[in-house]
Amino acid sequence: MTKTFTPARPIWCAGCGDFGVQQALENAMKNLGIEPHETVVVAGIGCSGSLQNNVRCYGYHALHGRVLPTVTGAKLANTDLTVIGVGGDGDGYAIGGGHLMHTLKRNPSVTYIVMNNGTYGLTKGQASPTSPNGYGENIEEDLDPILLGMSIPGSTFLARGYTGQPAQLLELTTAALEHAENGRGFAFLEVLSPCVTYNDTYREWRTDVYDVEQDPDYDASDKVAAFTRLMALRDQGRLPIGLLYRGERPALEEAALNHDFPPLALQDIDPSKLMDKYQQALESFMR
Amino acid sequence: MSAENTQPDLEDLNVIVSGQGGDGSLTVVNLLASVLRQNGMSVYTERDVLSRIKGGITAATLRAFSGERFTIGNHIDLLVAFDIDAVPKNRRQLNKNSIVLYDNSGGSLPDGILGDEIRAFGAPLSRQAVKTFRRDIYKNSISFGLIGRILGLPDDTMRVSFESRFKRMGPQIMKYNLDALTVGLGLADELGFVAGKGLYRIQEIERKPHMLITGNEAMAFGFSVAGGRFYAGYPITPSTDVMDWLIKWSPKFGGVVRQAEDELSAINMAIGSALTGTRTMVATCGPGLSLMQEGIGQLGMGEIPLVIVDAQRGGPSTGMPTKPEQSDLNLLVFGGHGDFPRIVLAPGNPEDCFYLTVDACNLSQRYQCPVFIASDQALSQNTATIDPLDLERVVIDQGKRLDADDVSKLDTYKRYLFTEDGVSPYTIPGTPDGMSLVTGNEHDEFGLVSTDPVNRVRMVDKRQMKMKTMLPELPRAGRFGDLESKIGIIGIGMTFGVILEALDTLADRGIDAQYFQPRTLWPMLDETIEFINGCDVVYVVDLNAEGQLAGLFVREGADASRIRKLLHYDGTPIRSDAVVEFVVNDQTQALGAEEVA
Ligand SMILES: Cc1ncc(C[n+]2csc(CCOP(=O)(O)OP(=O)(O)O)c2C)c(N)n1
Ligand code: SF4
Ligand SMILES: [Mg+2]
Repeated sequence: MTKTFTPARPIWCAGCGDFGVQQALENAMKNLGIEPHETVVVAGIGCSGSLQNNVRCYGYHALHGRVLPTVTGAKLANTDLTVIGVGGDGDGYAIGGGHLMHTLKRNPSVTYIVMNNGTYGLTKGQASPTSPNGYGENIEEDLDPILLGMSIPGSTFLARGYTGQPAQLLELTTAALEHAENGRGFAFLEVLSPCVTYNDTYREWRTDVYDVEQDPDYDASDKVAAFTRLMALRDQGRLPIGLLYRGERPALEEAALNHDFPPLALQDIDPSKLMDKYQQALESFMR
Repeated sequence: MSAENTQPDLEDLNVIVSGQGGDGSLTVVNLLASVLRQNGMSVYTERDVLSRIKGGITAATLRAFSGERFTIGNHIDLLVAFDIDAVPKNRRQLNKNSIVLYDNSGGSLPDGILGDEIRAFGAPLSRQAVKTFRRDIYKNSISFGLIGRILGLPDDTMRVSFESRFKRMGPQIMKYNLDALTVGLGLADELGFVAGKGLYRIQEIERKPHMLITGNEAMAFGFSVAGGRFYAGYPITPSTDVMDWLIKWSPKFGGVVRQAEDELSAINMAIGSALTGTRTMVATCGPGLSLMQEGIGQLGMGEIPLVIVDAQRGGPSTGMPTKPEQSDLNLLVFGGHGDFPRIVLAPGNPEDCFYLTVDACNLSQRYQCPVFIASDQALSQNTATIDPLDLERVVIDQGKRLDADDVSKLDTYKRYLFTEDGVSPYTIPGTPDGMSLVTGNEHDEFGLVSTDPVNRVRMVDKRQMKMKTMLPELPRAGRFGDLESKIGIIGIGMTFGVILEALDTLADRGIDAQYFQPRTLWPMLDETIEFINGCDVVYVVDLNAEGQLAGLFVREGADASRIRKLLHYDGTPIRSDAVVEFVVNDQTQALGAEEVA
């Protein structure tokens, strides 16, 4: 067997929530039998954005905030691949925030895991879009990207996990990967992943989380009811976790690609293969 | 038209059709172009548009030529004005032989606008259109009857071309347009433009097969034939036609086009695609290219192949969105932070656009770096006739790409392996045991983050090495004119056709010069610097205020004392007379100085 890079040892602080996210991802991949060489992990910039170095598969370290356009391009270019985006709350909701709504609306079959720690870990604790009003110097309200996702008609999979509940996190990660693997579209999983160094929320989050899966009245397929419930929980200062919304809509790659052809990356591009079609294009300029 | 007219052969005709945006000037020009092409002439068309759909004076210009020209001529033979305001606006392009046809529905042309020499004729184009067809837009077809008669097109030729043009729009529309043509011919009779007595004798030249194509279309087509399968873009004039063409055609070749939410997304989608080994391109212009800069550095550091088209327009900022300029050259060559290799190619006509885009695709994968194509609004959007492209010339070279078999024979696979030529073999995701880390962080050979100073220097040097090893493969300059002459002219993009015409005029005026068309701008090739330093004087036609093109030459070793910069940045397309005048003035002064000495 050819030797390639040896996955790095995580560089996270002891106790960082991101360990749990990596573990859930690796186990979910193993359980689903996803081949490492057919997987690309695209990571953002931040403490969370070092995860791709630690797992054995194709890894790409994107620009700060640009995970989502990158995974969209990679998936469209090779639908045979399992494409997974990972990053932080700053990466995904601040500098890359604009891409989130467009990716929800496009619905490409990729998984996106945000390690939400309510702070900028790597740059040493500045407020992030999910930091509560009063965190450090922060005077802005915090953003709930799941609620944002619920307002976008294209959304098909919205979930939130918590590294303090690893069994459920594994289930949610598996469900997210399956959603994308089955071509059902964009699986967005936000994980509450505490930063022990700059925003140690283990204690609050343990009591704040509200597991909708324990609530028999919560219906993740009823958007209006789910949205109402999530808003109410938010007003009560609770953090809903579990599979929060699931919908059906054709995936981007289904609608965008010409399925008479193999994936773009695997096409034989020797011009002779399509010469008649190129000739047709050439003739369109000769009329 | 008076009978004493001697009716010269039609060899070089320049017609400008101008009016309010939405008047349909382009339709008239396209129709005229197709008639003249049927007659075997080559055509070149230019649009002067505002960046709004309706309102403001816009124009479409046509040149028909019995040889080959890639520029509009220095003066206009016929100005068709749907709006009286279009007359003063285009006044400076007219001379005493010009004819003006204007719509007098709103009144006659005020005295003194044109002077006595220029012949002007008014016709109630709009009034007739509304009266007869209840639709103002039929003034286009009405005007065509007059234009045809003025030029000397047989009535039958006009009818036949109308039929072929309007056929696909249904019998009703075709009938209205033919009727409108008849109304136009009636107006022509009233003004004395009778059949068979036009300005020119329109001789039938043998019609060779040819293409009518813009630079943008040629780049999109070249990208496709080169196996380009993923395009991401965000609409921005004057690059959008690249996306438009690909939206129509790419799916037929198995490709895909995505309109992104902004240029940050576009270039990163493109990066995602490029990582899979798919040939990928983006097209934009100044503002979009500015937004893409971080991504471009990522391509450099991650060693990711991408083709980037820049259809330059008037800058900075939003500038003049529809006007040609070449003021992004510094951004193309030096943009982005940090040191990294890149290639900048510079085509001069649609044919060049096609083949250089093919080269760009190959070079981007061979050297795993960004490859820019420096176009400009005029090259990108003007239409030219060219000989049919030779698709057999397209050869694909994906560089050092390893498949599963290649990888299995290796002991160790390293994405950023140190090599003598600086180019590391690459795998694409899906290849067993070819797993790699691609990153914008400085990294070791495996792609793992490293700040080790020894590794850092080796990695920077490895990437820079590619700039040396690629040199023999980069596209060479085009050379034209008197190759022995010590008077050189240099220009890129839209100035190609302008300078070629200037060479002819200069030769007629006793100045034999040569034109050196650099087709690789970066890395600077020795041939360019040797050319400049081998001339007594080199005129650099630089479409910006700072002399960015000349600046690159001097930086790379050209002798500044030999260079004369012709700076043009008023937003108009430069014409050959400006080049001729600049050269003649300078040569005359030089002669004068010699005589004094
Ligand atoms: C364009 C750009 N701006 C700023 C930075 C600096 N930067 C690096 S990481 C980061 C914030 C990371 O926060 P988050 O995404 O929440 O990741 P975490 O470290 O918390 O996991 C910032 C601002 C950068 N790398 N690039
Ligand atoms: S700083 Fe915070 S987010 Fe970063 S590794 Fe340490 S605990 Fe994790
Ligand atoms: Mg964070």
